[in-house]
Amino acid sequence: MVEIARNVDPDNRALYEGVPAADHRLEKLRQLLVGGEISELSRVTHLLDEPEQLATAVGNVLPEATARASHAQLGEALAPAVERAAQRSIQKNPNTLTDILYPVFLPAIRKSIGEKIDQTFQSLNESLRHIFTWHGLKWRFEAWRTGTSFSAVVLKHSLIYRVEHVFLISRASGLLIAHVTSQDATSEDPQLISSMLSAIQDFVKDSFKEKENSGLDTIRFGELRLWSEVGQFATLVAVIRGNPPEELHEVIRDVLLRIHQESSRALERFDGDSSQLPGVETQLQTCVELQHRDSKEGFPWLVLTAVLLVLIVAGGWSFLSWQSAHRWQTYLSRLAAQPGIVISDQKIRGGDFYVAGLRDPLAADPRSLLPGTEVDPTRVHSNWQLYQSLEPEFVLKRLSASLAPPDSVRLSVVDGRIVAEGEATTTWIERARAAAQQLSAGGPVFDISGVRDVSAEERWQAYVSQLETQPGIIVADHNVRDGQFYITGLRDPLAADPRSLLAGTQVDPARVHASWQFYQSLEPQFVLKRLTASLAPPDSVRLSVVNDRIVAAGEATTAWINRARAAAQQLSAGGPVFDISGVRDVSPEERWQAYVSRLEAQPGIVVAQQNVRDGQFYIAGLRDPLAVDPQSLLSGTQVDPARVHASWQLYQSLEPQFVLKRLAASLYPMDKVRLSIVEGRIVAEGEAPDTWIDRARVAARQLSEGGPEFDISKVRDVSPDARAAEHWQYYVSRLEAEPGIIVAQQSARGGDFYISGLRDPLAVDPKALLSGTQVDPARVHSQWQFYQSLDPKFVVKRLTASLSPPKSVLLSIVQGRIIVVGEAPAGWISRARAAADQLSADGVVLDVSQLSELNLAELNQLREAIQTTDIFFSSGRVVPGPEQTPVLDRLADQLKEFAENAHKAGVTARFMLTGHSDTTGRETANASISAARAETVRALLNKRGVAPELLQVRGAGTFEPAVPENENSRTGNSTNRRVSVTVNLE
Amino acid sequence: MLQKKICMLGGFAVGKTSLVRRFVQSIFSENYLTTVGVKIDKKSVVFPDKTVDLILWDLAGEDDIGSFRVSYVRGATGLVLVVDGTRPATLAVALTLRERCEAEFGAMPFILLFNKSDLTDRWAISEGEIDELKQRGWQIYLTSALSGEHVDDAFRQLASMVAN
Repeated sequence: MVEIARNVDPDNRALYEGVPAADHRLEKLRQLLVGGEISELSRVTHLLDEPEQLATAVGNVLPEATARASHAQLGEALAPAVERAAQRSIQKNPNTLTDILYPVFLPAIRKSIGEKIDQTFQSLNESLRHIFTWHGLKWRFEAWRTGTSFSAVVLKHSLIYRVEHVFLISRASGLLIAHVTSQDATSEDPQLISSMLSAIQDFVKDSFKEKENSGLDTIRFGELRLWSEVGQFATLVAVIRGNPPEELHEVIRDVLLRIHQESSRALERFDGDSSQLPGVETQLQTCVELQHRDSKEGFPWLVLTAVLLVLIVAGGWSFLSWQSAHRWQTYLSRLAAQPGIVISDQKIRGGDFYVAGLRDPLAADPRSLLPGTEVDPTRVHSNWQLYQSLEPEFVLKRLSASLAPPDSVRLSVVDGRIVAEGEATTTWIERARAAAQQLSAGGPVFDISGVRDVSAEERWQAYVSQLETQPGIIVADHNVRDGQFYITGLRDPLAADPRSLLAGTQVDPARVHASWQFYQSLEPQFVLKRLTASLAPPDSVRLSVVNDRIVAAGEATTAWINRARAAAQQLSAGGPVFDISGVRDVSPEERWQAYVSRLEAQPGIVVAQQNVRDGQFYIAGLRDPLAVDPQSLLSGTQVDPARVHASWQLYQSLEPQFVLKRLAASLYPMDKVRLSIVEGRIVAEGEAPDTWIDRARVAARQLSEGGPEFDISKVRDVSPDARAAEHWQYYVSRLEAEPGIIVAQQSARGGDFYISGLRDPLAVDPKALLSGTQVDPARVHSQWQFYQSLDPKFVVKRLTASLSPPKSVLLSIVQGRIIVVGEAPAGWISRARAAADQLSADGVVLDVSQLSELNLAELNQLREAIQTTDIFFSSGRVVPGPEQTPVLDRLADQLKEFAENAHKAGVTARFMLTGHSDTTGRETANASISAARAETVRALLNKRGVAPELLQVRGAGTFEPAVPENENSRTGNSTNRRVSVTVNLE
Repeated sequence: MLQKKICMLGGFAVGKTSLVRRFVQSIFSENYLTTVGVKIDKKSVVFPDKTVDLILWDLAGEDDIGSFRVSYVRGATGLVLVVDGTRPATLAVALTLRERCEAEFGAMPFILLFNKSDLTDRWAISEGEIDELKQRGWQIYLTSALSGEHVDDAFRQLASMVAN
């Protein structure tokens, strides 16, 4: 106590000075009072002193302490340590950190490499495409001018694009943060679009289980591309029209990055209020301004124009002077190329041109070369000395001028030599030889060895001998005197003209003096010509020369024969023989007789009488109307029709061919009957119906009196076949009228019938239609292909079979449209709609607009009852206890009733049995127990007569508890150990 | 511009799609529901001081909760639970769907719509049941896609709930 008092108040220290400090009782008391605290204190002291124990203790609370610490301070405190630790770790083994960061970096690296490769391909493609075009050349120049690579220039020009919209979308909610659009671009509501875009991103991610922390990179639709860049809190979607370069990805990414840097917090907290992010739109605007059109914008036109002006002024003068010098040079080179012109000097002074040199008088005039060179002739000052060029072509010109070679001589330059070829007179050849000798001194060789010496006399002789061989020309005398030619003789007027023969002989006509006496040549061809002209023989007479005799052959009147005979007598004195014995004298009477006998030979014409009186011809007789017209036989007989008087009585000839003609006309349907005359009898062969045969028989009887026999025994009676064919045609027409049957081909052959075509399986059976048609089914061979008719009636039948409409639905056809009326479950209605869509492609209208959804109220009650039923289980058991038997019995009855009612309403009911378990035990065990419970119930229901195909099972484990279980409440709730039932309608 | 992502949840054929069809702005066809599993519509609710754009994610209705795509709900600030008033089972479906969303993304404001209120003769939810739910402080509306009854009110209520 004293000790305590001392400690409590320093004043007491003095007060109890005498009291001894160490009192063992005091120690005892201390033990009694604070013994527990002392031992606890010593344990704590020990804990603090022992590093191992202290580490364990701090380790226990460290995670909790870290979590509770102020984040800013903790971060600052830990940062240096973490940095050092990371540094250390990398020094020790870089792989550890690489492995950790690998999943983070890999997608970014992969994407970056992908884009780079795309970029390379794009530039390669474009370069290849433009390498040989005109653009290509221009762009090469541009690449050279700007110092960039050719492929970069190609890309710049060929990638024409425009960013039309930019959406900035919150990643968390899919809400639109900002949207900017280029001037004339339009789109639907951007808010809806941005939400839908993020929904589609979610959809793709969910559907393909893509874990990658990125969105859809590119969506492409025709000209439009959607490029999206995913940031931490927002996604930027650019809608680009055209062909953007891959670098654009980087531009868009930069914008997104900048937005994130500037407004990271606002983005993170974005709750749909875009006024919190005011500056974003300006950033996005930079994206929308991105575009490249193939324009020349930005090119320094003003500078270029100024430079061009100076260049034009400066260049104009130099160009003009260059041009005139150039033209002068052109002229000089043209001059120098001229043979016979040698330029010795030339210069340009003060805009004038001076030239001096030699020229051959025969060379081209230098002035004549000026036009075309655009050199001003007034400024040209020339000084030419004439000389004689020894170039072969000039020598040739001079020789041509001096020697005047005749037309028959041709001069030419061959290998620098002048060669003369052809024919010439001796005098010319001598002159040429003299010229050749003169030339030999320094000039080219003049070779006249190829000229043949032909003197005029020779040519004259040739002409004369040519004349002598001419028929109708007789040369009496000819000679040459003083270079003149004289000729005398006889010529027939019909012979060739001697003058015309002169041409081509090189004999000068002016030197020819001819004296010709006309005479009549007696050579046969001249005589023939003259006879043809004088006698004018009729067409029926032909004149010809046979062995120097003139022979006339054919027919002619007596008058012509007399004239011909006179001509023959004239000719007999020295001329050729004119033989007219081959011409037969024909008188009109004779020709008439020939005509009459032709008529008599005609069948169906009987000539009764004919005579000739006073030059007129009379004829009378009988003729069959079917016989040939006597008048038409006149032509070609040379009998004058005007002098013929005919009188014909018509009659019916009984000659077989006439009878045949008449029969053919009267028994007309004779497609398959052929009539012919066999030994005076008329025979009919072929096939005909009985009606025809009857008529033929009557005709045969009529003919029997005096006419030829008409034999119809060879005509087959085809009436039964024909009737069968008629019946067949009736059957075919019935088939054709039948809906759902298309007859493609049908024929009757050898008494059998063949038919083929298409039939709808729902159409009437073609065989059934046979009854009542009198067609023998045994003789019908049919071949039917099945097809689907689009006739509404058939469509209805098929729909009834395929859709199996419930009783509450009625299908009817109204004006070719199929109308479905009534009530049906939603599933059936959607199937009917799908069918309507399909049919509309085939042009069949299926109107389902009058369908309404089936009222399932009656079923609902039962359904509710089923769905509230649970089968319960004991813990860990998968078979329900015996107390569940009545529940199972009732459930089975309800399920059966429901299934039956649903079926009546046209729907299929399916029951999902879901097994559940309580949370006691391991999750995997619970899952399998729940599934097993559902399976058991299925088996039990099945045993009670519920069709197994209507029952589906699944195990829900502990995930769908009837009563929630958690750590606070007791686990193992018996209510959760159950199988529940869900009803689904199809 | 104030927008909120709202998810419409409900069992098969409770009438979510017809509920929104007449009252919202839409550019996507209903095919999206069957293809992508979601269709997005917009409902603008105008208050005196602001306009709230409700971006409605209409998720394909499924009675099988297992096939429900929870990921579509991420970032939503509110839910529209739709129940077919003639089929009591759909209430359980809607509530289960809500639980799944809350389990995944935490509690969020919602409205509960008992749809098909025009089918009075087949109505299967008792007044007592609804009152009991209202006791929990839930916003409940009896709606009809046919008459449009209460639909606008419901959306307006939800808008004011999520905008604050």
